[in-house]
Amino acid sequence: MAQVVMYTTPTCGYCRMAKAFFKEHDVAFEEKDVAVDMEAREVMVKKSGQLGVPVITVDDAVIVGFDKGRLTQLLGL
Amino acid sequence: MTYDVVIVGTGAAGLSAGLYTGRYRMTTLIIGDAFGGYTSIAGPIENYPGYRNIDGFDLMQNMRDQAVEASAQIIDGRVTTIEKNDAGFTVTTAKGEQYETRTVILATGTEHKRLELPNEKELTAKGVHYCVTCDGPLYGGKEIIVVGGGDASIKGVNLAAEYAKKIYLIVRGNKIKAEPINHEQMKKLGDKIEVLLETEVREILGAEKFEKVVLSKEYNGSRELAASGLFVEVGALPRSDVARSSGVELDARGYVKADVMMRTNVPGIFAAGDVMDLFQGFKQDITAACMGAVAATSAYAYFKSL
Repeated sequence: MAQVVMYTTPTCGYCRMAKAFFKEHDVAFEEKDVAVDMEAREVMVKKSGQLGVPVITVDDAVIVGFDKGRLTQLLGL
Repeated sequence: MTYDVVIVGTGAAGLSAGLYTGRYRMTTLIIGDAFGGYTSIAGPIENYPGYRNIDGFDLMQNMRDQAVEASAQIIDGRVTTIEKNDAGFTVTTAKGEQYETRTVILATGTEHKRLELPNEKELTAKGVHYCVTCDGPLYGGKEIIVVGGGDASIKGVNLAAEYAKKIYLIVRGNKIKAEPINHEQMKKLGDKIEVLLETEVREILGAEKFEKVVLSKEYNGSRELAASGLFVEVGALPRSDVARSSGVELDARGYVKADVMMRTNVPGIFAAGDVMDLFQGFKQDITAACMGAVAATSAYAYFKSL
């Protein structure tokens, strides 16, 4: 099963959309709140080359924003 | 199959229309690529009757669930063309999927307006942002600039103030045009907020990330203003490409033209929500939902007359 990590902030609407999507498809994911977790923020910036949420990683693939089509493809849904 | 109605858009207008067409027992397909529209990223909503305070995303989920309960079917997709045929219309998505329908309701909404300055695109998400609810919390203890004097901008300032140390609000006009209740809340921020009226952002500067803006006039002896982040909330543009290509008449600014019953110039095509400018720039969830209900009612009347 793919390892999914989502970098979020508490008030981010697109993050909530992504969470709803994962719940709908029963996809387990780890959430990192980059508003407070500075270490995770550094990792997110390093991986995505930008500072904007959500960033979602599926194994080694990095997705900036909530791209349902790409997630569907990467997760084989 | 041929649907009785295809609704293009999954924001407040489209979902409201779907609720009504579903209850009219029209076979209803709602197609959208941006669930919830702007409301889903708007943060707390306090002016939708029936809810004292609800997160925009939750409000949109409730609207979606209610439309689905009324028998509307909702799918993801970006509609690219609507073509007239003998039975009604063929609606085609970017993926090439095609749907036949007797009527269409256009509820495609708007998209963020940019400042259209050099560097803006390159520095997007590198200090330049368009979503305060998403990225505002990343600027805890920092100084930020918010551009725009409308209600969305002031709501953004109020939200960002929970995190930022200092906010500079750049307003092109000579006054703030926000709901008084939101304006009052902003005034309570005191020294945390600095309002620069009749001021424009002329340049966005930064190499790897945003560093500062150049203003149209001096502030504290300089036209340069440095900050950690720049949030742009300068309004929206209608997403009316599909309407235009399907022969629907637009106004000079690109908004869909329709009468008070949401009928466009093309028989069988109706419109609703922010893709129209029916109320002189006043765009709210309640106006979008209202227009969706009216468009659905007109689509039903048209459908019954076929």
